[in-house]
Amino acid sequence: MTLSNVFSRTFWAHLLKRLIVACVLAQSIALPAIAESESAFSLQGFGTLGVARTTTDDVEFVRDLSQPRGIGKEWSPLVDSVLGLQGAWRIDPQLEAVLQVTSRYRYDQTFYPEVAWAYLKYDLTPNLSLRAGRLGTEFFMMADSRWVGYSFLAARPPGDYFWYLPFYSIHGADAAISVPLGENTIRAKAFYGHSNGQIPLADEQWEIAGSPMIGGYLEYQMDAWQLRASYANIKFKNDLPISAVMRKLIGRGMTGAEAAFLSARNTRTHYYSLGIVYDQGPWQAQLMLNHIEQGSNALESSDGGYLLAGYRVDQVTPYLGYSWVLSRQHGKPLNALAAYVMEDSHSEQQTTFLGMRWDVAKSIALKAQWDLVRGDSTSIFPYRQDHRETWNGKMDVFTLTMDFIF
Amino acid sequence: MKLRHLFLVFALSWLVLQPAAEVRAELVVVVNARCGVAAMTRNEVVNVFFGRNRQFFNGIEAQPVDMPDAHPDRARFYSGLVGKDISEVNAYWSRQVFSGRMQPPPKASTTEDVLKWVISHPGGIGFIDLSKADARVRVVYELTP
Repeated sequence: MTLSNVFSRTFWAHLLKRLIVACVLAQSIALPAIAESESAFSLQGFGTLGVARTTTDDVEFVRDLSQPRGIGKEWSPLVDSVLGLQGAWRIDPQLEAVLQVTSRYRYDQTFYPEVAWAYLKYDLTPNLSLRAGRLGTEFFMMADSRWVGYSFLAARPPGDYFWYLPFYSIHGADAAISVPLGENTIRAKAFYGHSNGQIPLADEQWEIAGSPMIGGYLEYQMDAWQLRASYANIKFKNDLPISAVMRKLIGRGMTGAEAAFLSARNTRTHYYSLGIVYDQGPWQAQLMLNHIEQGSNALESSDGGYLLAGYRVDQVTPYLGYSWVLSRQHGKPLNALAAYVMEDSHSEQQTTFLGMRWDVAKSIALKAQWDLVRGDSTSIFPYRQDHRETWNGKMDVFTLTMDFIF
Repeated sequence: MKLRHLFLVFALSWLVLQPAAEVRAELVVVVNARCGVAAMTRNEVVNVFFGRNRQFFNGIEAQPVDMPDAHPDRARFYSGLVGKDISEVNAYWSRQVFSGRMQPPPKASTTEDVLKWVISHPGGIGFIDLSKADARVRVVYELTP
């Protein structure tokens, strides 16, 4: 599918029509903001119009592994653009129904809108809430608001940290509790459910729907400081579509031994993370660390992290960040084919990124960012369509975005 | 010639508006007089207005009321409380809303509406000018200007 197809007139006309209908509905439903009339319905939205380019055509740059193709030296709106609409219906003071629909470049190379979340939320007490339905997952801190560009400082969530996280939602339930501890707060959340979605691999899809996920976090909020430790795991229900990819690539599928060696079915991957956030006055700073322990030989385990700091001057916030990821092989590859597959999941790079967020008008932020990716030539997992012979592991990424909420 | 006129108009209007800015009264946080809360610390106020804690120490549900961006008290309140610009407060709430964690407090467009909310909700809490506080509400926190 080409870009012109993705951005075809009919598609956007269709989306625009939906949006207009939704806005008109919102106007007629949402009452003016008078405290006394707590309207039962609300309709809100978010979006990003972004363009980005890199300095190489040796690999295609993606935002995370949910994107089947990426961008090269040409300016492209593919990786960062998104539109989301969220409707909420307060059924009674304790019970709320929420539906979020988003349109972004996804696994099947389209912007076809999909239901991101659809759930019921019940507040057992003001500080204890339960949710059930299709829910966003918070494998890492802020992972469930990764597409709401307006809500964060940088142009996009640091790739070295978030590439490995193509999971967005589960069909399941979660519970969140807040416990005030003097002036501080402890928060905890636990979730369980079945994954929902596909992860693209070359021209194939890795079906992860039905894979059970479980996880949670513990968080301590102390004035301007927020500390969080989280853990999650997923047990994959299906194998990676390696055989199909290999058949196209080298003209043969895998032998039984190879398939067994590289099998992902019934293996469990563990995600550990630690986050520290400081947010007060003009300062914002974040330090995040993660460790991913893969259960399958086909995927390398990895350690990643990032450091980000920004200082607001009036409506402009310049920021500076540094992120890294390093993966390592599980054991000795079975043979040349297995080695090839295992090398495909290697990442070894650091990125320095600097940029500026300008809150230009109410609910609109403009951002410009420059990423300097400096890695090893073997670092190919984060990318698509790699040319291993010429890729040297180094590139710059230039990004311009307009984030908005409504 | 025209430019000089324009400059004069600006200078004059600046002079006229200047005193008004000087007499801005003190912003305070008020709760329903019957809710049993006597005083709050800055952190407790922050926790309630940012949705981190939705209960007072005595178990009563905190029901904060905010104001719209257009009202000057909103910017004063958040800059005085946490040193944050309105756009940063809105960014924070967009993260809460679109991740499905929680909805922001409702907004009252005038100080009178804030008072009405606080009086009509047992756990009502809002911010107003000190001069507007009456016997039906209790001042629990004063913002240092």
